[in-house]
Amino acid sequence: MKMTVLALLAAAEAIALRQAAEASPVQHVLVQMPLLVLAGVLISWDMRGRRRVWAVPLLLTALTAFLFWMLPRSVDWALTPAGETAKYLSLPLLLGVPLRLSWPWLAPVLRGFLKANVLSMLGVLGFLYTHAPLRICNSYLVSAQQDLGFAFLQLAVVLACIWAVPVLFGHPRWLPSGSAGCSKCGA
Amino acid sequence: MNTISENYVPGHAAAAPQAGAVKLTMVLSGAVFALMMVFGLLMRAAQGQWIDLDAALFYQLLTAHGAGMVGTAALSGAAIMWYFCGRHLVLSGGIFWAFLGLFLLGVVLILGAIFIGGYGGAWTFLFPLPALSGGAWEAGAAAAFMLGYTAIGVGFLLYYLELGRRIHARYGSLVRALGWNLILGREDNDPPPPAIVAAAAVTIFNSIGIILGAAVLVASLVHLLVPGFEVDALLAKNLIYFFGHVFINASIYMAVTAVYEILPEYTGKPWKSNRLFAIAWNAVLIFVMAVYWHHLLQDVVMPPWMLVVGQLVSYFSGIPLIAVTAFSTFLYVRGSRMTWDLASSLLVLSVAGWSVGSIPASIDGMISVNKVMHNTMWVPGHFHTYLLLGEVVMAFGFMAWLVRGKTISQMDGLDRAAFVTYLAGAAGFVTVFLFSGAASIPRRWAVHYEEWLAHDRIGTLFGGLVVLGTLVFVLRFAARLGRREG
Amino acid sequence: MAARFLPSVLAAVAGGGILWLATDGARAFTSEAARRLDVLQSPRKVPEVLLEDMASRPVPLLPQAGEVVLVEFIYTVCGDICQIAAADFAEIRDRLQGQGVQVRLLSVSFDPERDTPEQMAIYGDAHEADGIMWTIARPEQKDLSGLLKLFDVTVIPDEWEGFQHNAAIHVISSDGRFSAVYDTDAVEAVVAYLGEAQP
Repeated sequence: MKMTVLALLAAAEAIALRQAAEASPVQHVLVQMPLLVLAGVLISWDMRGRRRVWAVPLLLTALTAFLFWMLPRSVDWALTPAGETAKYLSLPLLLGVPLRLSWPWLAPVLRGFLKANVLSMLGVLGFLYTHAPLRICNSYLVSAQQDLGFAFLQLAVVLACIWAVPVLFGHPRWLPSGSAGCSKCGA
Repeated sequence: MNTISENYVPGHAAAAPQAGAVKLTMVLSGAVFALMMVFGLLMRAAQGQWIDLDAALFYQLLTAHGAGMVGTAALSGAAIMWYFCGRHLVLSGGIFWAFLGLFLLGVVLILGAIFIGGYGGAWTFLFPLPALSGGAWEAGAAAAFMLGYTAIGVGFLLYYLELGRRIHARYGSLVRALGWNLILGREDNDPPPPAIVAAAAVTIFNSIGIILGAAVLVASLVHLLVPGFEVDALLAKNLIYFFGHVFINASIYMAVTAVYEILPEYTGKPWKSNRLFAIAWNAVLIFVMAVYWHHLLQDVVMPPWMLVVGQLVSYFSGIPLIAVTAFSTFLYVRGSRMTWDLASSLLVLSVAGWSVGSIPASIDGMISVNKVMHNTMWVPGHFHTYLLLGEVVMAFGFMAWLVRGKTISQMDGLDRAAFVTYLAGAAGFVTVFLFSGAASIPRRWAVHYEEWLAHDRIGTLFGGLVVLGTLVFVLRFAARLGRREG
Repeated sequence: MAARFLPSVLAAVAGGGILWLATDGARAFTSEAARRLDVLQSPRKVPEVLLEDMASRPVPLLPQAGEVVLVEFIYTVCGDICQIAAADFAEIRDRLQGQGVQVRLLSVSFDPERDTPEQMAIYGDAHEADGIMWTIARPEQKDLSGLLKLFDVTVIPDEWEGFQHNAAIHVISSDGRFSAVYDTDAVEAVVAYLGEAQP
């Protein structure tokens, strides 16, 4: 129940950001879109992915949705009415939900691999967006594109710290044991 | 379920899990080392005008030699570290096979890119050279080369994820495995052995190197395939040298676990982690990542403070190594009546070669020297010292140890001859490089002036000795492996 | 065994297929690339629209009698890309004039409120547009959004009271279809294209 309310809150916040998303790609790509994914993750928080066999297909579904929305042309498309509808539906349902359902079943090495890839890809995006001589999204200014590039790099640094600290210094005592570890899911 | 104690049997090869995979990897490494040395010999002979080599082919060989040697040094180092970590941790064999498979896939792509596609843009793939071949190769060849790197990078990432995960599970945190309890004077009733300290440090810095390397690789790939996208050339160079420096250094830091784990069998004294050892490895962890700026001393657009740090760290980075590994090797060996068989001789030689190799490196790391020397043969002289007389020798020592009999006996005549040939060849080979560098002979030139030919020809002769010694090591290793398993 | 992997294989194939379609077969990752590809594959019919040129005369957008029309979208007080693009446009004009190709060049303002004929004339003079082979023109306000939509030109206001837009050279072939897009500095490619179109 609590998670459903939180999911709805995240979705409402994402919709409230409609205007901001049109004005700034950082708001669009790094605030609104993650909120929609978060809504999907939260709504399915208490659903248990019942069977391990579905973990990989679900992960592939989530990856497809993720890669699709990473395409610069999808970001432009998301500002048209059809694209906007697709965004509001697919990010929670095809990315957030499958990610939540498959994640506990994934082998720890695979999870680490996915995390490392997220860092690398954020680096690539930062690399390209801060320095592209062309406009990658027609809907946004070049300066906004550069802001987005730097935001990608900052996010990569923050995520790297969040993921590395428990591995480096051990699991902090004040966190519940399930959230970072693989202890519960039998992998 | 396996417990740690079941798996931990200090001592002989038979106790190690995945010994078969490691042996296969070492056979492959030995074969590729030999092939790449032949490539190197061909280049030296062509520079000495003993053979006629098309310049385009020279640069393809240069690229293959660089990528092949770096890759194989890392492969053999990884196999050695996996083997010895298997004494202290439960490691999943599937990951090692995946690592090896991805590595071989990468090798196929790289060789195809070079010898079918004609890619000759050097192993550093510096932006924007791969995209500016002047007609020597298509964008597809450069892309295949980078995809090969990507495959190898993915393999190594899996390797380090598995290793890091198991170290984390066994020791609770990576900093404990880095010996922080020893450093801080806290009580630790299960201190990490030297191999684990090394593994933890390499896992951290090489994972960072691979993640950043993957970023610059993929960005370069995007630029190749969609030329409208560009990357910042200076940032790309920084990332490439960060990745390249960390990666090649990691190969030695992985291979040195062979020294930690094997030499005690000869000296009879266990090699234990202590406070100084842990401090040294933590320093290495930082220095390896901070020192790459010494590759960019000629880039006047770099912020000066970075270059100053590069020079300072170049000075200091030799200290933890020499103070700890080299000095303790010296003490261990001096105080014991050890038997000099092929394995122990090679391993002690490797530590000496590695230490000596850091001296020309530090000299090149000085900004004032670097401006004159960096584009000369001095630089291949320095890295050949610590690779040819360091990492590669560690790998050969490990191979000799893998197939030696249960009892330790003196070297036989052929082994002794091979050892002397290799040592004389390698020492002469790198000395010629250093002399050529001091004489301002440039590196990476396919065609040399008449005045330089004496250097090149003497270098070629010494190179021939190296190849000869290597062939004996590798063929005897394969033969003994077959005999023991057959 | 096969049943165990089937869902994964299907998901991978479906995912790969979706991404393949979404990028037009890994050829277009940005909306600009997608627009260019789409125009090449299915040229778009251009409606009859009259523009007003820098001498306040009406000029047709559509090609007349076998000619080809090259269109650039601009605003005259643009500080950067339009000025450079205009120099390249002038070079294309000179090259094609030398070859005797039947072609008309139009710099169309997407800011008709500020770009009066006088204002357009200043821009035309600065770049030596003669008003015959190459002229500067503006649409009526009511036609503007339709034109931008047809040519897929996105115009957004920038921080300095100007605009940013996907600047390009748009080709209207002699059959009245918008059929190709080139970079503003792709002088060689445009000249080669017209050389082929009208041998």
